[in-house]
Amino acid sequence: MNNFIKRLFFIDLIKGLIITFKTIFSTPVTIRYPKQKRPIEHGFRGRHAFVRDPESGKERCVACTKCAQVCPSQCIYIDFAINSETGARVLTKYEIDALRCIFCGYCEEVCPVNALVLTEFFEYASYDRETNYFNREKLLNNWDNFIKHHEEVEYLNKFWYLPGINRKRIPSAKRIPKPVLKVMDKVEDS
Amino acid sequence: MGQLEIEKIDETTFVLQMGPHHPATHGVLKLFCELEGERVKKIVPEVGYLHRGVEKLAEYKTYPAAMTLTDRLDYISSMSNNIAYCLAIERLMGIEPPVRAKFIRTMVAELTRLSSHLLWLATHALDIGAMTVFLYAFREREQILQFFEKICGARLTVSYPRIGGVRLDIKKNVLEEIYEFMKVMLKRVDEYETLLTENRIWIARTKGIGVISPEEAVSLGITGPALRGSGVCYDIRKHAPYDAYSEVDFEVPLGQQGDTYDRYLCRIREMRQSAFIVKQCIEKMPEGEILAEESPDMDLTPQPKRIIKGGESLWSGFVEFTDEKYELIPKGEIYSAVEAPKGELGFYIVSDGGGKPYRMRVRAPSFIHISAIPKLCEGHLLADIIAIIGTLDIVMGEADR
Ligand code: SF4
Ligand code: SF4
Repeated sequence: MNNFIKRLFFIDLIKGLIITFKTIFSTPVTIRYPKQKRPIEHGFRGRHAFVRDPESGKERCVACTKCAQVCPSQCIYIDFAINSETGARVLTKYEIDALRCIFCGYCEEVCPVNALVLTEFFEYASYDRETNYFNREKLLNNWDNFIKHHEEVEYLNKFWYLPGINRKRIPSAKRIPKPVLKVMDKVEDS
Repeated sequence: MGQLEIEKIDETTFVLQMGPHHPATHGVLKLFCELEGERVKKIVPEVGYLHRGVEKLAEYKTYPAAMTLTDRLDYISSMSNNIAYCLAIERLMGIEPPVRAKFIRTMVAELTRLSSHLLWLATHALDIGAMTVFLYAFREREQILQFFEKICGARLTVSYPRIGGVRLDIKKNVLEEIYEFMKVMLKRVDEYETLLTENRIWIARTKGIGVISPEEAVSLGITGPALRGSGVCYDIRKHAPYDAYSEVDFEVPLGQQGDTYDRYLCRIREMRQSAFIVKQCIEKMPEGEILAEESPDMDLTPQPKRIIKGGESLWSGFVEFTDEKYELIPKGEIYSAVEAPKGELGFYIVSDGGGKPYRMRVRAPSFIHISAIPKLCEGHLLADIIAIIGTLDIVMGEADR
């Protein structure tokens, strides 16, 4: 009987309509994307960049090739020469094919000197393939572009110090969180 | 296979090829429907349009790198796939993740279940004709994806767990936010229920559609909420607990009729249980490490290492090798399964001691659920096929691999 009354007076439908009617007065959750942007969370895995060291003004990479080893899609190409005097490795080629990259973040996680980073920049779709084939200069440029629009004075990626993991397991440069300072004048130059 | 059916038809039957680009087939599923008027006489599903060779590809990747492939199986619940894969390797190696890592994993697995069920509810309701629920469910799903972004930096293909734990710790304020959101979530689930559960159109479209008896469901290999809708109590979280499921309290919702409506109710109740589990995990989460000590490094070498005898002799230019190889991952094979949002997701892994899996086989619930479509659709109207595909919760990325 109860059910019959409910059916007769469209109680089931009216209950639903009350909810949809209430929603008219709630604040909208959608945003108008190209004009309005959602804040990106810290540590978002976006476009690659080479950190420009504030002291030397160059990249930090020591050509250990660890990132190329772990990359699941094998899109990092490295070549290096050995300096005959010091015996140190000198980077001669460093390329990332971002079109093949799956943005897993493994490369920045294994990098022992925090040279590589996946920045929070995500709007880099292009009409040709070359734009997203990054070599050393482009990677450094990516960093400059990113840090210019970064709001805080220093930048620290959480994959640089891996919170929660036993400090003994990770390379010494990653043990203490070391943020990169935003250097304004150098950014303006480039 | 479809060609053979077409040859046999007479004047009263009509063969309709549905898909692979039909939006209601949830991906690229193709169905050969033999129709008599509007009644379905026979149905033959065809799969393989999204085949990427994931299982073979995994044989050429090291164990940590192969984990990123599992993200792309069931791409709307990638966290569960990652956990299933990592758990299989952990069981093979005999390592145990720390307690905090276990709780984090349980929490993110349940968040994934919520987001997967929300997407299922949204598309299932949209297929049947309820547009409002689609928009509401996506609103909440967006929130959950944002939590994933906060936790690990990616929204869909997360690659967050790691063999022996998880990759990053979660900050306290994020946990608090998730806790607050779960309270809202419970209210939202009530909202969806008000919109659908008693709605006469919804009931007319789902009650008595795609009925499957418990015996048939078991013999077809259906798992997950689709099986529990028929009243069979089988939940790996309860019967073979992994991670921290033995330490949290939850119920396994069961249906009775085994029709589309009961499966819908099951999943809705499961969403509430998931929210409870997430809350409990946050309450009980201890402090501590998130990675087991024995867990392999990220840069695992693909070849087994040789044991070098007498390390000092390296200096004088003499290096002694033994023939024995040091095993990176113990030799052996393992099958381990978890309760993914779609059903039982199992990984069968054979290791030959090297850094790459010798064989990786995925027992994907969606693939097995597709094999149940002919049985469920028999004698129903053409329009009900859409409801049945929706109720089985199929993702083709997982079925075709
Ligand atoms: S994010 Fe992953 S796929 Fe992309 S370059 Fe780094 S390791 Fe390779
Ligand atoms: S891991 Fe870091 S230091 Fe090593 S090659 Fe890659 S970017 Fe350079």
